[in-house]
Amino acid sequence: MGLDVALWRAVAVYRALALVYAATLITMNSGGYARPLGGWAVLAVMTAWTAWATYAFASPRRRGRPLLAADLAVASGCLLATVCVESTEGIAAGRPTLPGAWVAAAVLSWAVTGGTRLGLTAAAVLGAGDVLIHVLAGTVDGLGNRTFNGIVLLLMAGLVVGHVVKLAREAEERLARAVEMEAATRERERLARRIHDSVLQVLAMVKRRGGELGGEAAELGRLAGEQEAALRALIGASPPAPAAEPAGAQTDLRPLLTAHSGEAVTVSTPATPVLLAAHAAREIEAAVAAALDNVRRHGGDGARAWVLVEDGDEEITVSVRDDGPGIPEGRLERAAAEGRLGVAQSIRGRVRDLGGTVSIVTAPGEGTEIEMTVPRAPRGRGRP
Amino acid sequence: MSDVPPDAPAAASSAGPSGAPRPLRVMVVDDHPMWRDAVARDLAEAGHEVVATAGEGRAAVRIAAAARPDVAVVDLQLPDISGVEVTRRLTAADPPARVLVLSASGEQQDVLEAVKAGATGYLLKSAGREEFLDAVRRTGEGDAVFTPGLAGLVLGEYRRLASAAGRADDGAPRLTERETEVLRLVAKGLTYKQIAQRLVLSHRTVQNHVQNTLSKLQLHNRVELVRYAIEKGLDRDD
Repeated sequence: MGLDVALWRAVAVYRALALVYAATLITMNSGGYARPLGGWAVLAVMTAWTAWATYAFASPRRRGRPLLAADLAVASGCLLATVCVESTEGIAAGRPTLPGAWVAAAVLSWAVTGGTRLGLTAAAVLGAGDVLIHVLAGTVDGLGNRTFNGIVLLLMAGLVVGHVVKLAREAEERLARAVEMEAATRERERLARRIHDSVLQVLAMVKRRGGELGGEAAELGRLAGEQEAALRALIGASPPAPAAEPAGAQTDLRPLLTAHSGEAVTVSTPATPVLLAAHAAREIEAAVAAALDNVRRHGGDGARAWVLVEDGDEEITVSVRDDGPGIPEGRLERAAAEGRLGVAQSIRGRVRDLGGTVSIVTAPGEGTEIEMTVPRAPRGRGRP
Repeated sequence: MSDVPPDAPAAASSAGPSGAPRPLRVMVVDDHPMWRDAVARDLAEAGHEVVATAGEGRAAVRIAAAARPDVAVVDLQLPDISGVEVTRRLTAADPPARVLVLSASGEQQDVLEAVKAGATGYLLKSAGREEFLDAVRRTGEGDAVFTPGLAGLVLGEYRRLASAAGRADDGAPRLTERETEVLRLVAKGLTYKQIAQRLVLSHRTVQNHVQNTLSKLQLHNRVELVRYAIEKGLDRDD
């Protein structure tokens, strides 16, 4: 809205100034015209059209093809009228055409509407008109630098204005997108606040009271607690990063991992984003998911797990600890020997591919602790 | 619940030789009436004296000056000023109140700010009643009440300070190796008792290490605030 209004206003100003210039030229040259009255008539047409065009182009509804076609037609007509009004000598001597620079307004309006292509088209039509004047007056020999100069200027005006308008439109679009995204983020924050103020409070309360009442109420409380944790993880996650991140495809590891938190899983992270290549972040998440899945399957009822994310200067460390029964000695090795891809193997494989290391500490009855350390910038091994 | 106090099983050992916990003067700051009442009721049933309740931050600070609570249980999201600001004012008051942050969502940055502003404990609202009462009691005794989540945040904050500082001697607080070790174990869900066993330390020593990590952060924060204020003041004199 803002950009279009400004552009059309600029075209209107140009049209008016060019009209004043054309009037001055016609007044000065009318003595040498073959038909001076015709010169005044063309000036009257130009004045009327300037007034109408200024009014009509201001409204988006009228700014259609018919108006554009009419604009170019009027400009061409006024241009060609030069043949009837100007004396042959005048044309041969390269005196300015009747409308002069005023015709460029049509080039501008075409360029503003359709960019470089339409701008050049309009300029070509008017340039052909310039040549046609000399053909009709039989002064083709007099086609001089001045005429060519005029044609080149028209073409350049169409080219440059069309291009700049396209750039301005793109910038306006980008701004609109940015504003939209900010609105989305704000809306998300508003939702998070509302959820915090209402749903989360009630769910936490149901869980608390249910646990105290025991029996069936405790089961309801447990369910409420699960939903509370899931919702908390959801609104705590940061919004998706903007598509055009300057630092490349870096992802915050935290929301990926906090999504796994729940009744039996605690995820602890720094307060600031833990940035990592998107691929590496996904692999770590998969490794953590495998470890947590293993806790669920082998940890027995009531086994709990803790995930800790640490952000070092050189490397990122993710630990998964559980208080389950631990892995009996030799089981990992047996699983590998039998060709089964044990959870440890799958975790080791993923982390090794990222150039990192894994340590697994376990003992019967003492739970299992898996610590994965990956370098911040992967030591490149031809990964995409 | 996804955060439990690491010390729940060890609670009895720090209740004091008499066994009966000392009744505390407690204030409850929460804009949710349902929670305010439930928390106040639980505290009263446990023998504590609920000296005041408030639903707004400014009112809380005003009332606290007269009610002089030992412990303030503060929700982070309040309608007027933030729970962080309330924490700052309550812990700076004379006499200072100890602040236990009780929050419904893990607003991470807010929790960290509250701790830097002087809160000595943090608990999620979904924690059970016993856990909550234990946390209030320990806060009243001056212990730091950590969840694994808070330990993760504090570890991250020290790392951030260290890498932002770059230079070796700029006053940014550092963790000793032992403190880092202890905090990492807290973040991995070990109780103080388990940590004491694993590192062959006394329960008290583990507690002191944890508390030191908080004190250093709070001291640094105060120094930074003063430095900031002086800079502002000098600017105005120019």
